[in-house]
Amino acid sequence: MLSRIAESLYWIGRYIERAEDTARILDVHVHYLLEGPLIDEDLACRNLLAAMGVPAASPAPDGLFNAKLVTELLAFDEANPSSIVSSLTAARANARGVSEAISSEMWEALNTSYNALPGQVAIGRGVGPYTFFRYVRERAAIMAGLTDSTMSRDDAWRFLVIGRSLERIDMLARLLSTGLHPRDGDGDDVDWVILLRSCSAHEAFLRTYHREVEPILAAEFLLLDRLFPRSIFCAVSTAEQCLADLDPRYGRAGMADEARRVLGLVRTNLEFRRIEDLLSDLGGQLRNVQTGCSAASAALAARYFRQTRSVEWVSEGPGIEVAAADGSTRMEALPAPAAAGSDADRLAALAAEEDPVPGADGTAGDDALAEDDGAGERGASPDARMAGR
Amino acid sequence: MVDRTAVGDLFDGYAPARTLGTPAWDEMFEAPGVVRPAAAVLHDALTSLSASEFEARAAARDRGFHDRGITFQLSGEERPWPLDLVPRVIPEAEWTTLEAGVAQRVRALEAFLADVYGTGQILADRVVPHRLVTTSVHFHRAAFGVEPANGVRIQVAGIDVVRGEDGRFYVLEDNIRCPSGISYVVENRRMMARIFPELFASHRVLPVASYPARLLEALRAAAPAGVSDPTVVVLTPGVYNSAYFEHSFLARQMGVELVEGRDLLCRNDTVYMRTTDGEQRVDVVYRRVDDDFLDPLHFRPDSLVGCPGILNAARAGNVAISNAVGNGVADDKLAYTYVPDMIRYYLAEEPILPNVETYRLEDPEALHHVLGHLHELVLKPVSGSGGYGILIGPQATEAQLDAARAAVAANPREWIAQRPVSLSTAPTDVGGRLAPRHLDLRPFAVNDGTSVWVVPGGLTRVALPEGGMVVNSSQGGGSKDTWVTVDGRRVPRVRAARAAKPGRREVAPDPGPALSFAGTEQQQQQQQQQQQRPAPC
Amino acid sequence: MSWRIRAEHTSRYRYAGPVYSSYNEARVTPLTTTAQLVLDASVKVEPSTRPYRYLDYWGSVVHAFDIQQPHGELVVTGRSVVETSVPRPGSTAATWSQLDDALLRDDHAEVLAATAWVPADERIAEIAAELRAANDPETAARAAVAWVRDQLSYVSGSTGVHTSAVEAWEGGAGVCQDFAHLALAALRAMGIPARYCSGYLHPNADAGVGMTMEGESHAWVEYWTGDWHAVDPTIGWPIGERHVLVARGRDYGDVAPLKGVFHGGPTGDLQVKVNLTRLG
Repeated sequence: MLSRIAESLYWIGRYIERAEDTARILDVHVHYLLEGPLIDEDLACRNLLAAMGVPAASPAPDGLFNAKLVTELLAFDEANPSSIVSSLTAARANARGVSEAISSEMWEALNTSYNALPGQVAIGRGVGPYTFFRYVRERAAIMAGLTDSTMSRDDAWRFLVIGRSLERIDMLARLLSTGLHPRDGDGDDVDWVILLRSCSAHEAFLRTYHREVEPILAAEFLLLDRLFPRSIFCAVSTAEQCLADLDPRYGRAGMADEARRVLGLVRTNLEFRRIEDLLSDLGGQLRNVQTGCSAASAALAARYFRQTRSVEWVSEGPGIEVAAADGSTRMEALPAPAAAGSDADRLAALAAEEDPVPGADGTAGDDALAEDDGAGERGASPDARMAGR
Repeated sequence: MVDRTAVGDLFDGYAPARTLGTPAWDEMFEAPGVVRPAAAVLHDALTSLSASEFEARAAARDRGFHDRGITFQLSGEERPWPLDLVPRVIPEAEWTTLEAGVAQRVRALEAFLADVYGTGQILADRVVPHRLVTTSVHFHRAAFGVEPANGVRIQVAGIDVVRGEDGRFYVLEDNIRCPSGISYVVENRRMMARIFPELFASHRVLPVASYPARLLEALRAAAPAGVSDPTVVVLTPGVYNSAYFEHSFLARQMGVELVEGRDLLCRNDTVYMRTTDGEQRVDVVYRRVDDDFLDPLHFRPDSLVGCPGILNAARAGNVAISNAVGNGVADDKLAYTYVPDMIRYYLAEEPILPNVETYRLEDPEALHHVLGHLHELVLKPVSGSGGYGILIGPQATEAQLDAARAAVAANPREWIAQRPVSLSTAPTDVGGRLAPRHLDLRPFAVNDGTSVWVVPGGLTRVALPEGGMVVNSSQGGGSKDTWVTVDGRRVPRVRAARAAKPGRREVAPDPGPALSFAGTEQQQQQQQQQQQRPAPC
Repeated sequence: MSWRIRAEHTSRYRYAGPVYSSYNEARVTPLTTTAQLVLDASVKVEPSTRPYRYLDYWGSVVHAFDIQQPHGELVVTGRSVVETSVPRPGSTAATWSQLDDALLRDDHAEVLAATAWVPADERIAEIAAELRAANDPETAARAAVAWVRDQLSYVSGSTGVHTSAVEAWEGGAGVCQDFAHLALAALRAMGIPARYCSGYLHPNADAGVGMTMEGESHAWVEYWTGDWHAVDPTIGWPIGERHVLVARGRDYGDVAPLKGVFHGGPTGDLQVKVNLTRLG
């Protein structure tokens, strides 16, 4: 598979998961703020933004954060590269570039989700964000379902699932590491019920343990449960398995594949540690998990996604044939593709505005469909992908 | 015969267009109210539709295109691909001529390209002047000496034709660089079959869906010598290119990789693509990147979408580039005027499809005539495309005419002049009613080296404004599904549903454990029976 | 009398930073013509790579190569041994009416047309018209070369590779490339087919055998007045045994000794050295 496509699939997995997890977290958070009138809304919102890695400069006149502002920032804001809207947009942009590598059902589902976003955002802003969050969760579920039911279990699927898994680990680690909501009047204890509900794990927890939520059990469930798919353990194991399937070779000793080595270390470090020990240094452990995730992502890129960017060529010697002032209108009409970054995106967007079946004047009908113009450059730079992190 | 007076609202007020004075040829009506035999069945089917039924199908069409991402940008907005709901019907008898004419043209153009990038016999024989080639900006000397393994330089051609007032098809332009639009031909058909299944039940329409398979065959046939199972890729400028949908469509339908320039790498005059398993050799590149952007070593060094070294890899015989580099020398508007001569010279045949009457302005007599009659002619720049710089004499102002005269006098080689052709019309959906609108046609041809195959039909484009002849979709143009019908009469559908094989027991899906109400009822009945049982003695 | 000359043409690019990938074409191998015979020729590239050799549209020998390993310096060396002689004089009998013949003009269309380096210019056209009116074609061609030598003074470094004939003329100075381009402009304006030649010039007519002299890349022109004739506008003489012809084209763009693209760097510093040794 092309490295560029593998990379895009990986990021599609991450973006969709990011959108879904953000929706889950926000949903619970907003609900929580409404339910508990005694909560320090500003502080809770700042904690959430910190967890999501969004710089906390309040746009409100009084400098205070509230649920509406946070929702705007994390869900609807197109300028925030990790918002739900931005994530889905980026997922769709990546999918557009690899639409022949995923099933057409997946592409259509993602495209439909994207097309409906403006409407859903408007509804979310108007009548409250719940329908929007539900929409995002449902669309993510459809995508996940189609991923699993329409894609062969080949490398394409694996890269997508690795992306999904790493993002899931990262988001859960973020969520846990800031101890999202200090319970009212109960010191700095983490509100585990909220955390469980963010991960759709509350009901699963209750069915598993048949008792009230206790910190140790909740932490164990979210970190270590072998069966619950949104636990860190499960997500790490899934990613490890996919990596192993990508390259099943084992050496005599050690682990040749760096991403697998890092994730294995993350997993065993959780798996073979007492839950009490984990809880006593939860912050440190979660930092390890996050670091491991980033390292695994970097290792994956280094091994599988080498040189997927466009290269700018420098000319030696004289300009070549085309540099001549030959008055070719074809050539002049095209914007010269610029270097990477926003300029290229803008120029590329211009190119994209042209006629899809470029046409012409038909009186005496002219050239009818013109031909492809060579210009146009892909967006979705890796920097944009990592922004907000 | 259907009672014409009961015709549905759709055709109300349908009258032939007289855009350029004389009435245009209409694809459906011979005369007002008189339907052409080939279109009769279609006409009847349409008249039986109510306006609301028609509207519902239009909505289904837009939703379908939108969901599948088959859209185009119009003033910054993403619109569904404009497919008009009324297909254009070309009877097979007419098509056979058109098909032969298109194939003939492609064969002549192939011969011409092989000649001018080789010994230049047609130039030596003075059938075509040297300057047509040597002063063309599309004659790429860098492509000189690149010999396609199977001799084919035009794997794909799009030959634009229009039907004139006399009902004849005229060639307007040859497109043998990277002609686009075939994906819309296939998608239009697919959409029509989805929303108008009953029309297909009453017509035998020649299928278009085999195009990707034909193209793949032609591309594989172009592979370098000695490569038995070639790796074919489609090279796209990227997702922001206006034809990206088509590139993606073709790659998917052919089951080959869609690559961008950055995915490719030339080393030692061999092309590779970067994969997660390392570098993999590429044998055939169906490129949808213009010559100027294809190879920064030979052409624009600032191209970010090309692959440096690819042209020399082709020269070394290690990769096939399709369509070949430098084909533009044969499809500019000046070369167009010589195609009939090429057909006679190379094929010793008479052209099946005529050109539109064209004046070469480098000829002083022609120049004099044209300058005097500019208000009656259409003036086109030789190397322009996309409709830029075209002057339609009858519709131009005095000032425009004066400016054009000056431009032509200054550089006659850069211009040609043509007799204006009033394009034919066909019924087209305009706000829920059908009205005549002008259209053209781009048939697509595929050359695999042994024969030239032409997709039955092609892309019909429609100018939507009344009297408009601009079929460009960025200026509000639309498209039509183009049907080559084997016979206008009702013909039973060929593909009958296959009968289930006798002897095979069809097993119903496992209904699962009994959870239904019926099940509970049974249990309840049992219980009742047990309860009703007389007590044991 | 003929000379045997060994030419060693070294182009050395030094880059500010590492170059990761590089694609190039070198045109440094002399042509074999009626007046010149190539006895031996080779091209060496450092970092080491395997060039692909082909003949381009103009008949020039091209060595194309790519380098995929990081490098800070690129050295391309063309070595050749050539036997040169004074070209046999050909016909100079063409008349203006022959040159104005539509068919002849069409045959030579590409070496009559303006190019990026040799653009059409009204002032030059006027001068050309005067020269043409006063002379037969061969005399006019010589007069054009004399006019170029009168207009331009040779000043090393006064122009760049992209300088056009008109720009050099306006500046009043140039190097061999500019002399050649301006001569082409005047010749073509008169309707005389004319082409650009690149190669080497041995600097010393009295050089001893075995003595290595530092020379330079050189440029001159050929024009058609019944046959092709070569003249060197820079030194003002016809071509002789001291000239080694490497490539012909419409202008410098068709014959550049080294051209290519690279990724990394960014900019490079180019040093060119041509060593010429008379062997016999």
